[in-house]
Amino acid sequence: MATRQRRLSESPIVPVTDERRELRDAVAQLVGRYGRTYFQDVVKRGEQPDALWADLGAAGFLGAHVSEPYGGGGGFADTAVVIEECAAQGCPIQYLVISPTICSTILDHHASDAIKEEWLHGMADGSKRMCFGITEPDAGTNTHDLSTTATPHPDGGWRINGGKYWTTGATVADALIVVARDADIGPSGKPTLSLFIVEKDAPGLTIQPLDSALTTAEKSFTVFYDDVPVKPGNLIGEQGKGLQQLFAGLNPERIAAASLANGMALFALEKASQYAKDRTVWTQPIGAHQGVAHPLAKAYIDVQLARLMTMRAAELFDAGSPAAGEAANMAKLAAADACLQALDQAMQTHGGNGLSLEVGIADLYFLARMLKVAPVSREMVLNHIAQHSLGLPKSY
Amino acid sequence: MTKIVVLVKEVPDAAVQKQVDSSTGRLDRSGEKTLNPFDTHAIEAALQLKESGALDVDEVVAVTVGPSSAVKALHKAVSLGADRSIHLTDDALVGSDVVGTGYALAELIKRESPDLVLAGQQSDDGQSYAVGAAVAEYLGWPGLTQVIKLDVDGQTLTCERQAEYGYDTVKVTLPAVISVGDAINEPRYPSLKAIMGAKKKPLESLSLGDAEIDASKVGEAGRKAVWTGSQEPPAKAAGELIEDEDTAETVEKIVAWLDDRKLI
Ligand SMILES: Cc1cc2nc3c(=O)[nH]c(=O)nc-3n(C[C@H](O)[C@H](O)[C@H](O)COP(=O)(O)OP(=O)(O)OC[C@H]3O[C@@H](n4cnc5c(N)ncnc54)[C@H](O)[C@@H]3O)c2cc1C
Ligand SMILES: Cc1cc2nc3c(=O)[nH]c(=O)nc-3n(C[C@H](O)[C@H](O)[C@H](O)COP(=O)(O)OP(=O)(O)OC[C@H]3O[C@@H](n4cnc5c(N)ncnc54)[C@H](O)[C@@H]3O)c2cc1C
Repeated sequence: MATRQRRLSESPIVPVTDERRELRDAVAQLVGRYGRTYFQDVVKRGEQPDALWADLGAAGFLGAHVSEPYGGGGGFADTAVVIEECAAQGCPIQYLVISPTICSTILDHHASDAIKEEWLHGMADGSKRMCFGITEPDAGTNTHDLSTTATPHPDGGWRINGGKYWTTGATVADALIVVARDADIGPSGKPTLSLFIVEKDAPGLTIQPLDSALTTAEKSFTVFYDDVPVKPGNLIGEQGKGLQQLFAGLNPERIAAASLANGMALFALEKASQYAKDRTVWTQPIGAHQGVAHPLAKAYIDVQLARLMTMRAAELFDAGSPAAGEAANMAKLAAADACLQALDQAMQTHGGNGLSLEVGIADLYFLARMLKVAPVSREMVLNHIAQHSLGLPKSY
Repeated sequence: MTKIVVLVKEVPDAAVQKQVDSSTGRLDRSGEKTLNPFDTHAIEAALQLKESGALDVDEVVAVTVGPSSAVKALHKAVSLGADRSIHLTDDALVGSDVVGTGYALAELIKRESPDLVLAGQQSDDGQSYAVGAAVAEYLGWPGLTQVIKLDVDGQTLTCERQAEYGYDTVKVTLPAVISVGDAINEPRYPSLKAIMGAKKKPLESLSLGDAEIDASKVGEAGRKAVWTGSQEPPAKAAGELIEDEDTAETVEKIVAWLDDRKLI
């Protein structure tokens, strides 16, 4: 009889449906054929996990949550399972948080039928990718201060001028979604934002690498916009409604980031528990020492709690509940913290080997550490919860 | 036009510790269950015949005999690509042995009159490796086991069998019952669409009466094999560990060990 060890990600504590269990198994089977070393090799060579991405797309796993005509028909909870299981198999693909998550969701909710027709099929089947640029050097978390500006052009369309940084995956994207300030003040008298699609080879676009400590396939970039033309059809939704439209993508982005963190944590804890069972330094396996076992157990509890909130947030989002935002914020914070704790303890459990690339945990660290500041920082989550859940005064 | 029936079984998940319930002599099936992994190779073989056009297949039908929970195995089978499924379930089937299961499956197959029946090499629980052969016997069709390569030429299949001593090449004419070895292919994973659509594909649920199957030939009533007892396999003596500190010395030790046992 075949025996296999149950994966930590299969725990029945996190709610599943029959379909979601099958989906998780299918993702595990697909990604398991690649594994951690494949992913590390791709990153080392400075390439993208294209083969894995194509397989995920072909199976329909890159667009589970988009509307059915564009290749989806499930919910964001399904995409959360895909992202988490990829990471749990040692392949934490940061791009999953960007192209299928934030970009596809915004397009699906707000873009014209023509844009959806042109982009969503390809983004769901993996043949097209988009990246997302909002962060600017002088605006930071405060999006009201964005200075990249879209000016209407006499011949129609717009010209975009300004600069973004930390735009991740810009060189491998077919297009960028850009958040820009409208040059003309609208009827409200207040400055407004709009969302545009900028094609990757648009004139006036300059993309420069922004070196970071992350060992991920996706690099981040500073992107300069010098009179970059945008054709009229490439405005997403309504002019001046950019901020409201962004919200469609923000909760999924947080849930996706949490799922990425949870998956990495599961990967690390699975490795660490195996090592703690196998490695004997004195007379018993090191896992028999409570100094090793208890911190792992505690880390696992925190990861499970984070997974529960993440799945709950996804279900609330899919149900259209106004509580989705609160849950998504809590999930992101809890998952990032739990993941860092799990990685740290998994490394500690491995002793010196915890730092080796062969074990494959240490090189997850900066991606996990990033999740404490991006896509939304820990402090901004706490601001949100203090104000909206506890009714405390607005602090900024 | 060709119809393929694939025999699939629900088995305890490989992560579940398996035990025989000593009061009934049957496997304790209370834990989580799944589609027999060996049967995914049979489904894959059917789909490859269909997709490659080697056979002009218009339908792949998954068939199971099992308790009510076995519908999940059928959902999995259709999510992998079977077009529809048939579930024979009846209290009178409880405790069926290989011959009884083979008889019931053969009766279900007769209702479908397919051109080809594919089965896995073994179930992951009972693992008698025999149901395919029993089905072939009841149908009076040629039956082949451990097939790891299938070539089609009209109504003739040239099959490579993995045998203990090497490989057999056997030709059979359809209709036939073929149990495939797990080396025949690498099974696919289901796509999102297939997973979502699995519960929407036709599933026919039949009792013994519905399928006009003789209840006296199945279950406790019809069984010819009876479980009488079980015991732990004898504990193996601990092996000898040779640490490789000096390779020349290690080789010497291994050679001496083999020599002691007259193995070289
Ligand atoms: C690897 C990586 C990839 C990224 N990818 C993208 C991308 O693809 N697209 C994109 O647009 N952006 C991307 N970003 C940017 C990311 O979204 C931002 O870094 C993040 O939102 C934080 O903004 P900031 O860096 O401007 O920090 P700032 O806003 O400058 O904040 C600095 C610090 O001050 C704190 N702070 C600010 N305001 C308050 C307050 N009111 N109360 C308490 N504390 C406060 C913050 O929490 C933070 O700790 C990426 C960042 C990284 C590191
Ligand atoms: C209500 C009910 C309760 C049962 N309880 C038990 C039980 O407690 N313990 C137990 O071992 N069995 C039980 N069975 C199943 C039955 O006894 C076995 O299916 C039969 O003995 C097959 O033997 P095997 O598992 O060794 O199959 P093998 O001969 O090893 O299987 C070879 C191949 O035959 C096919 N096959 C095998 N069984 C079935 C099936 N049932 N339906 C469709 N295709 C099949 C598969 O393709 C499989 O890969 C039960 C059946 C029913 C209906």
